Amino acid sequence: MKPSMALPTAKTKALCGAGAVLLTVLAAASLFVGKYPLSAEKLLAGDELQRRVFWTLRCSRTIVGVVGGFALGAAGFIYQTVFRNPLASPDIIGVSSGASAGAAAGILFLSGAAAVTASAFAGALLAVVLALTLSGLDQRGRNSTIVLAGIAVHSLAQTALMCLKLTADPERQLASIEYWIMGSLNGISLHSIGGNLVLCAVCLTALFLLHRQVILLCAEEGEARMLGVDVGRLRLVILLIATLVVSSVVSLSGLISFVGLLAPHGARLLTRDNRVGTMLLSGLLGGCLLCGADILARSIAATELPVSIFTSLLGAPFLIFLIVKGRKCP
Amino acid sequence: MSFFSAQGISAGYGADDIIKDISFSVEAGQLTGILGANGSGKTTLLKAICGILPHSGSCTLKGEGLEELSPKKLARRCSYIPQRSGISIDISALDVVLMGFNPRLGLLESPDSAMISAARQALTRVGLTGMENTNYLHLSEGQKQLCILARTLAADSSLLLLDEPESALDFRLRHRMLHTIRSWLAEADRCGIVTLHDPSLALNFCDRLLLLSGGVLTGCIRPGEDDLDKMEAMLETIYGELSLLRCKNRSGQEQLVMLKEGRI
Repeated sequence: MKPSMALPTAKTKALCGAGAVLLTVLAAASLFVGKYPLSAEKLLAGDELQRRVFWTLRCSRTIVGVVGGFALGAAGFIYQTVFRNPLASPDIIGVSSGASAGAAAGILFLSGAAAVTASAFAGALLAVVLALTLSGLDQRGRNSTIVLAGIAVHSLAQTALMCLKLTADPERQLASIEYWIMGSLNGISLHSIGGNLVLCAVCLTALFLLHRQVILLCAEEGEARMLGVDVGRLRLVILLIATLVVSSVVSLSGLISFVGLLAPHGARLLTRDNRVGTMLLSGLLGGCLLCGADILARSIAATELPVSIFTSLLGAPFLIFLIVKGRKCP
Repeated sequence: MSFFSAQGISAGYGADDIIKDISFSVEAGQLTGILGANGSGKTTLLKAICGILPHSGSCTLKGEGLEELSPKKLARRCSYIPQRSGISIDISALDVVLMGFNPRLGLLESPDSAMISAARQALTRVGLTGMENTNYLHLSEGQKQLCILARTLAADSSLLLLDEPESALDFRLRHRMLHTIRSWLAEADRCGIVTLHDPSLALNFCDRLLLLSGGVLTGCIRPGEDDLDKMEAMLETIYGELSLLRCKNRSGQEQLVMLKEGRI
């Protein structure tokens, strides 16, 4: 019997297998590559410095690279499908700008990395709740209303960010804000990621379980309603869950561009469908992209560079390659 | 009590109503056609009946008010085929048909093997045999309409609402689609309401035709019972001067044919 809806095709299974292998290889490389090179022998021999670098620096950034990239890729798939827009991303409902404003407030008024993370998370969540509440004023729950509410909240968050930047100390605080906005997996502590990872895992599981409902939302609104879908409510719930996924990642890493946009496109161009296997592949590609970009960000120059530079540098040629390949083989 | 009845339906997209105070009923097994010029409110009427558009008045199916039902319960009783589906992502024809089972599935449930088998049968019934794994976006517009019809047949609801389901189909497929719909309606306790642009098709496949003009119901034709002169006069209120003929094809089957008269 041929597969359907929930079941991935043999090709998708093979692609997911290859993606998982590549992600494992990159994760292993991420553990050992950096300014202070680690070796398996010394680690196993119990070298104290090597162990400390492994546990305090490499482990946490590798976990965030893998899980964060996967989460951004899978959430990007959700946004693009729900909004029926190939350019849709978390920015569309203001989550990134809310997180930026929250992080800036944290840098200015709180102390410690954990406080900045919590503040960024609160900012992202506040922006999304505001956008979804505003869109709820339209009882028909149209896509366009959510997008308009997102644009309004995005503008408000950008204004708040500008005001915070104006009051920031140009030497330290302003630089920290700019560096956070550029995104980096540097300096993430293993102790501070637990809550975010649990939230991310729970929300990702929910999104995978709701995949069939997500696909139903790709129909025209009236058509979806006549398929028994409570369009307005379901879309709000799915967007809220997807946003929690993104918020849990960007509050740790800062803004990471392109992963949520590129990974779903790459996965769809490879599988040519939107089944649950494609969503999984989108997550795996996101993980590979973020891990690969992070390895380059910390090993190419004398100082660590923002990871977003490399997610775009790696991702754009890959996407162009897939588009050209896809045109040749319709 | 009628199988389906609409009482005093008024609806529109803004402040003004496009359709005003429309009332009619449909008996079980019957296919009712709605004829009208462009902009007369045919699609608005269908959208109001199935609850996509807010409206005043009430619709009753087998004694149950459609307005009080949850989206899932409504979808179990009533199916709607839009003029064009909004699906714009890569998805197989089989997966599109399986969407029709959603009203019977829980939030986290997936279609079972019986549903997959029924979806394949529905595709075969509309003439899309062997296309179940074809990308829906790669189908022709006519094949897409047939695929959406298969989804509706698989949904197995009691009230079928079709909005110009034949608009992208060729001559042969138009007849085949309406024949499929008629035989499907006859199989169980069901009725259908269809808007059609082609009056000849409507005259030959519908039990009753409602004439809509300026958002108001202006008349009702029973092609099997009414005489030609009466039908001609009523159709002329929509289409201008015309003549209606009863002709027999080579196998002796009588059909109604509408011809345009006078200046076009």
